[in-house]
Amino acid sequence: MFLNRKLIKNVNWYIPIVTLLLIAIGILSICSAGELNKESATGIRLVKKQLISVVLGIILIAIIQFFDYRIFQYYSTIIYIATVAVLGMILIIGTTAKGRTGWISLGGFNFQPSELAKVTMILVLAEVIDSKREELKYLTGFIKPFLYVLVPTLLIILQNDLGTSLVMITIFIGMLFVGGANVRFMTLIFGGGFSLVVLLIASHLLFDTPLIFFKKYQLNRLIVFINPGIDPTGIGYNIIQSKIALGSGRLFGKGLFAGTQNQLRFLPEKHTDFIFSVIGEEFGFIGVLIVIILYFILLWQIINVAREAKDNYGRLLATGIAAMFFFHILENIGMTMGLMPITGLPLPFISYGGSSMITSLIAIGLVLNVNIRRKKIVF
Amino acid sequence: MNERLKVFKILITLALLILAARAGQLQLIMGDYFYELSEGNRLSERPISAPRGKILDRNENILVSNKEAYDLYLLPNEVSPEISVGDLLLSLANITGLDLELLENNYENKGHSSSAVLLRRNISREMMVAIRENKDELPGVYVESSSLRDYVYGNLAPHTLGYVGEISLSELRAYSEQGYNYRGGDIVGKVGLEREYEQYLRGHDGIEQIEVNSRGQMVKTLSIKPPIAGNNLILNIDLELQQYFEEILEEEFYRLREIAADEPELFPPTGAAGIVMNPNNGKILAMVSVPKFDPNKFVSGITYEEYAALNNDPLNPMFNRPIMSQVNPGSVFKLVTGTAAIENLGVKADTKFYDKNGKYTIGEWEYRNWLSWGEGEIDFIRAFARSNNVVFYQLGHELYKLDRGEKMAWTARQYGFGSLTGIDLPGEKAGLVPDNEWKLKTQGEIWYPGDAVHLAIGQKITVTPIQLINFVSVIANGGTLYRPHLVDKIIDANGEVVIDFKPEVINKVPFKKNTYEILREGMVAATNASYGTASRHFVDLPVKVAGKTGTAQTGAGANHGWFAGFAPVDKPEIAIVVFLEEGNSSSYTLPIAARVIEKYFSLQGDGGSE
Repeated sequence: MFLNRKLIKNVNWYIPIVTLLLIAIGILSICSAGELNKESATGIRLVKKQLISVVLGIILIAIIQFFDYRIFQYYSTIIYIATVAVLGMILIIGTTAKGRTGWISLGGFNFQPSELAKVTMILVLAEVIDSKREELKYLTGFIKPFLYVLVPTLLIILQNDLGTSLVMITIFIGMLFVGGANVRFMTLIFGGGFSLVVLLIASHLLFDTPLIFFKKYQLNRLIVFINPGIDPTGIGYNIIQSKIALGSGRLFGKGLFAGTQNQLRFLPEKHTDFIFSVIGEEFGFIGVLIVIILYFILLWQIINVAREAKDNYGRLLATGIAAMFFFHILENIGMTMGLMPITGLPLPFISYGGSSMITSLIAIGLVLNVNIRRKKIVF
Repeated sequence: MNERLKVFKILITLALLILAARAGQLQLIMGDYFYELSEGNRLSERPISAPRGKILDRNENILVSNKEAYDLYLLPNEVSPEISVGDLLLSLANITGLDLELLENNYENKGHSSSAVLLRRNISREMMVAIRENKDELPGVYVESSSLRDYVYGNLAPHTLGYVGEISLSELRAYSEQGYNYRGGDIVGKVGLEREYEQYLRGHDGIEQIEVNSRGQMVKTLSIKPPIAGNNLILNIDLELQQYFEEILEEEFYRLREIAADEPELFPPTGAAGIVMNPNNGKILAMVSVPKFDPNKFVSGITYEEYAALNNDPLNPMFNRPIMSQVNPGSVFKLVTGTAAIENLGVKADTKFYDKNGKYTIGEWEYRNWLSWGEGEIDFIRAFARSNNVVFYQLGHELYKLDRGEKMAWTARQYGFGSLTGIDLPGEKAGLVPDNEWKLKTQGEIWYPGDAVHLAIGQKITVTPIQLINFVSVIANGGTLYRPHLVDKIIDANGEVVIDFKPEVINKVPFKKNTYEILREGMVAATNASYGTASRHFVDLPVKVAGKTGTAQTGAGANHGWFAGFAPVDKPEIAIVVFLEEGNSSSYTLPIAARVIEKYFSLQGDGGSE
């Protein structure tokens, strides 16, 4: 198998360039969050690991281009079974970090399969929704895709990874919508589901009924999100310190390595979940705006790839990936600004974390694959 | 289906616009606010207390100084957010053995969010070491070495020097209104010179601004504003003379109390005072109030019981008698009556009087001399030296006839009676010069001849010891009333003179030179002539002393004993007053005065100052 030179000429260069820019900003921010200016050994290790993940991810992007993306459509049943099997297995043998089960060790690297599961589920759902395209106009057509999503989502919830399960639901909604599903039925199903969750929480708070799907700390995050002043030194601390970091950057920021919230460690989880606050503090509103614009270009171009896709499967694939990135970006940045409750979702390409970086780059690889094999534009 | 992709694009655009707008709100609109918060997170200010100025005697012996002490602070900004202040105070109480409730109260009473909270002043060295050793368990707890006021000679001149203490709420308010910058927990002068010269003695605290990390650990020092030490006071007080005066006045006071305890007809004195002053400029060389107290007790934290005991002591040891006691001067006041008589009645040194039977009668009223028999023909000087009441009753009566005693009261006021001397100490009292106007106002009666004759021998009027010494100084220097002054100069920590106090004239007393000469002659006779009331005690001294005794009746049987004088007669160097509150007689004051005068001149012989 070889890669046709013509295919490479088709590449939408915005996507790889914006991705690399975001990665560069991310590495710089990790240097600062890792306090490399203080010759911190931990910081150097973080940067090294991140760079390894980037290289690994880029290699994977290249490999992916050799296959026509439709091969994933063909093997989607196997991919699905593998995904569910791995997620199930993790519940038994996985290790726990920060309240979340779901890490497995692969030769010194800890990997989080639920990260990759988002992408594999996009591959699977693209096939399921594509094959049910016509039936999605009726309520019964929702049953099969719904069941497909339900199993891995529940398994992820059981790992206490609420954020990723929310990503899964967002991906599902985005793909159903672009896949042509009846909007009224969608509203009914997801609106109903949302109402049910609200009802469960309300009943827990008012009548102390047991929580389903939620852990107490997750509920606390929600409460603190609504009112961080409740406990400014406890769980509200993160939100308050993040807003202080971000806001204190003002227009131009305090400069690289000069963010006091970052360097003096008032900011929690600063190289992972709250890396955006570091950017805001050290590079100011200008830096924030640049990152947001880069994400905007990336999402816009991915949707363009979806629009120009050769087939419906390719379009759904790109849509799912756009939805995944979109939710991560919205939730992570929103969280640092106090607009969203705290979940542990990383900021794609910027947050430190191998699983997230590799998964995001694989997703970019898939988008590029759809992109280069798009239908010829006839002039 | 590409329409739905457009919807997706719109959704993304909107969402990212919201994020950008929110970033703008936080960073541009509220940026300065959050910047302040981030600075507040990072910065902590530690006070560096400035040493208070020292107080030195005229020969620059240190009377009041500072010794090293340790103050315990809590810096809220350096408390790690993972620890509650309550837990922190609990560990602190466990480590130091300090009372938890006390720490909590101090924290709550003075809690400001960003500045240091003083938890406990003057902790022991052992506590300081214990805290240092457990530093990691006590983030935000900070021991600062500070200075504790040290009254080097213990209870030497406590009334004059005063003492310091933590600022009270009312003081805080008053100083703020005057535009001074004080904070709760500051140490201020409470009484005495410490209070009078508070603004000179107090230094200006420095501030060390440091950067702290989220665990409250110091990262680095950002800036230091060094403290400025307070100014030093150099007093006119002579340490040796002061010590000597205190010693013998106390000794005599307690000896007299002991004697009185065995003899029911004698009254135990309830207090004593003594002053030595240079009559030529008002500089105070020694000033004693008995009983005394130890100001160091106030500084190291007086207990409530100790404070109550001092306050409830019937002998009132906190009372600064030289400037606060307002009592009758007794026969010392005959110097004023004499002045008025010489100036207004044409009395001369050899003017003759006749004391037939030791009584003076006005109508049906009889006024007695201290002798129950008459002294016969007696000239003015002798009448003065003998302190003959009959003669002075007569003078008082004649002065009354002149203008209902107005001239008499005016004369007393010219000498400074009835008003503050303006000595540089807080709490001075003015005494009272009674006259017709005063009596009409307070009692609704006119000033009677009987009042006048009583006033003539120093009853009715009240004076303070400091007024009395100021008064004899006028006679000594021939007509100048100076403002008595304790502080000679104020110098800063580098020895530069801040203020050099010059003698301050409060009144040019308008009496004839000859008047003072007659008065001096009378005083010399009192202390030197064989018939003088005070003669025995002064004749052996190397210098000639002029003086006048006074025994003021209190009505309750006990008498105040007075002596006021100066020496040497020809060229006065010192004036002296000795006062025994409810002592039995002026005679007890004489040996004290004699010994102090002797001491003063022996010090000059040693080559001391002036």
